[in-house]
Amino acid sequence: MANSVSFDTRKAVDFVIVGSGSAGGILAKELSTAGFDVVVLEQGPYRRPADFSHDEYSVVILEEMADFGNVNSRQTFRHDDSEVAVQTMRQPAGYAQTVGGSSVHYTANFWRFREIDFKERSVHGPISGTNFADWPISYADLEPYYTKVDWEIGVSGAPGPNDAWRSKPYPMPPMPIKSSGVLLERGANKLGLTAQPEPLAILSQPFNGRMPCMNCGYCMWFGCEHGAKSSTLSAMIPLAEASGHCEIRPNSAVFRVELDERGRASEVLYYDIDGNERGQRAKAVILAANGAESARLLLLSESSRFPDGLANSSGYVGRNFMYNAHAGAFGVFPEPLNDYKGVQVTRIIHDYYETDEKRGFYGGGGIDARPLFSAHPIMHALLSMPPDVPGWGKAFKDEMAWNFTRQMTIVASTTSLAMDRNNITLDPESTDRWGRPAIRVTYRDHPDDLAMAAFLQDRSMELLDAAGADKSWRLPLEPTSFGYHLLGTARMGDDPRTSVVDAEHRSHDVPNLFICDGSSFVTSGRGQPTMTIMALAFRAADRIGAAAAAGEI
Amino acid sequence: MNENNELSRRGFLKSAGAIVGSSMLRIGAPALAALTQAACTARDEQAQFTVLNTDEAADIAAITARIIPTTDTPGAAEAGVVHFFDQAFASHFSDSLGFVRGQLGALNDRLGTRFAALDETAQDAELKAIEDTEFFELVRVMTLFGFFGMSKHGGNSDYLSWQLVGFEGNRGAWMYPFGYYDAQVHGGDDGE
Repeated sequence: MANSVSFDTRKAVDFVIVGSGSAGGILAKELSTAGFDVVVLEQGPYRRPADFSHDEYSVVILEEMADFGNVNSRQTFRHDDSEVAVQTMRQPAGYAQTVGGSSVHYTANFWRFREIDFKERSVHGPISGTNFADWPISYADLEPYYTKVDWEIGVSGAPGPNDAWRSKPYPMPPMPIKSSGVLLERGANKLGLTAQPEPLAILSQPFNGRMPCMNCGYCMWFGCEHGAKSSTLSAMIPLAEASGHCEIRPNSAVFRVELDERGRASEVLYYDIDGNERGQRAKAVILAANGAESARLLLLSESSRFPDGLANSSGYVGRNFMYNAHAGAFGVFPEPLNDYKGVQVTRIIHDYYETDEKRGFYGGGGIDARPLFSAHPIMHALLSMPPDVPGWGKAFKDEMAWNFTRQMTIVASTTSLAMDRNNITLDPESTDRWGRPAIRVTYRDHPDDLAMAAFLQDRSMELLDAAGADKSWRLPLEPTSFGYHLLGTARMGDDPRTSVVDAEHRSHDVPNLFICDGSSFVTSGRGQPTMTIMALAFRAADRIGAAAAAGEI
Repeated sequence: MNENNELSRRGFLKSAGAIVGSSMLRIGAPALAALTQAACTARDEQAQFTVLNTDEAADIAAITARIIPTTDTPGAAEAGVVHFFDQAFASHFSDSLGFVRGQLGALNDRLGTRFAALDETAQDAELKAIEDTEFFELVRVMTLFGFFGMSKHGGNSDYLSWQLVGFEGNRGAWMYPFGYYDAQVHGGDDGE
């Protein structure tokens, strides 16, 4: 499908949106269907559903959608600022470069936050050495937009006993339970826990003219060729383009937001597919490039007015980076699960969602059961083998062959605390293929983050045992050194000294510059952030659209 | 067709027979028919190597065959994993070709013969001695890529490895139930 409209770069459109992912795709659809002229600049190519494959080697190993590892981005990583950051094999701040962004390749676990997530600082008090804070909005503020995600993006699920209240039911039932879900339920029942259906941004029924899931098993890391996975590519961008007010401009790598003499954002500069410098003028600019790229772009856009980076009078741009911590435990069962079929997750346990001060540390999380790496044979052989089996030879082969259909993983996803020391900065040496200083990630989990992950890993081992695993083992818990959840680097808040954007996602420093993506997060949630990124985007679109209509931008 | 092709063809047929007899794999009749057909044609058109010479290819094939050996089921040899190496060294792994070539040369110098000429017991002993090296790990990982990746990448002839582990990835769509445990909930057979 060709773009239905294309805009003159020299003429100011109503909005330029940087990024077409979970936030950008929604903002584009909402604002363009409201009648605003929108240009979306996406650094990745425009892949269509027909371009997606089931090729594990190309998609997962070579990472063809995520910069072939790190070849063009050349991001660097270090745990502490005393170290020199080094370029890693895979992006430490991982994301898909494609129209639809990481919503194209995500696993689509779609947890809402609960009321507690927005006010933990008030409930639990300060945590020393961190920037632990309340959000400037509440669950009640966001609830209508969670519901909008359910009904416009397409979320399948059923309410669990521990969920936050909802104003409207799920639009469709949860995906049917898989063997991993049955086994998690069995373990939970024995241990007095509750396994509830997993909410997924994957269609269990035909919805809004889209096909339901065919259970092919290629969700995590892959694009969905049926459009059953509710990416912004399948759910939002077609509507944006059909409005006649939205141009998606792929292969456009933004390197600077320019200000006019009044200190207002006036133009977004980018490299086109041939590396030529281009600029798109705009009346307002929205950054939705993800929690690593939006922060980098602000830092790259320094000027005499903003010597530490655009909209960074607080110094909070890039700070408070959060990944979510994770832990895994593997189990092999007597009979085949064939868990490679279908979606990854069908049951979760949220009994440990809230901080329990009796545990002695801050944090909470969720537990799910899924094939994880054993959804596909290369990753199964590479990463899913028990530690007591050699890495080659007959025993290796026999174990791989026996386990593949009988194995599952219990994954724990948990909180991360916001700290100054964990941040996105510009690498002083490495530049990406466009010549932009590369993203440098500095990250070491807070001890409470790892304590929470370890706590849930212990519970995961108990669950495997209670579920009847023949054999179980755990991944060693190590400090996080890469991830796909990119949160906190331009946090929202009422105080311009300790936040970058206000509760409407408008930057405190530049009145027509908005930032809305994972960077807006104040706390990390329990490890499945995308539902909240999307809800924030729907809410931001409402507020930004209303302000624009009222002439208040 | 040269002698080596004939040998590998016979090995392949033997392995195909093993699959037929293997209850573990429980493959259906259509898959068996396809397998038989493939067995008759697959090795007839053995691809020329692009970057590897014949000796290098033989050594790499021998190493991969110890990493995933032929037992009562097919291994790296029957899956033609060495062809993945050749294709990878001509593309995404081109940077590694010089390294692997140098390491193979050093290994053969040390042995005083080519690795491929050793018997399997001696090959295992040599690999055991180098199993912690970067060279071995690269070859091991590439063997897994070639064995389990799609056939278009050069290895995994006729998706033998997928049949080995019970993965029917090419089917692309499934009905419930999928496995033994969810069949107890959904009813019906266990997805086998």
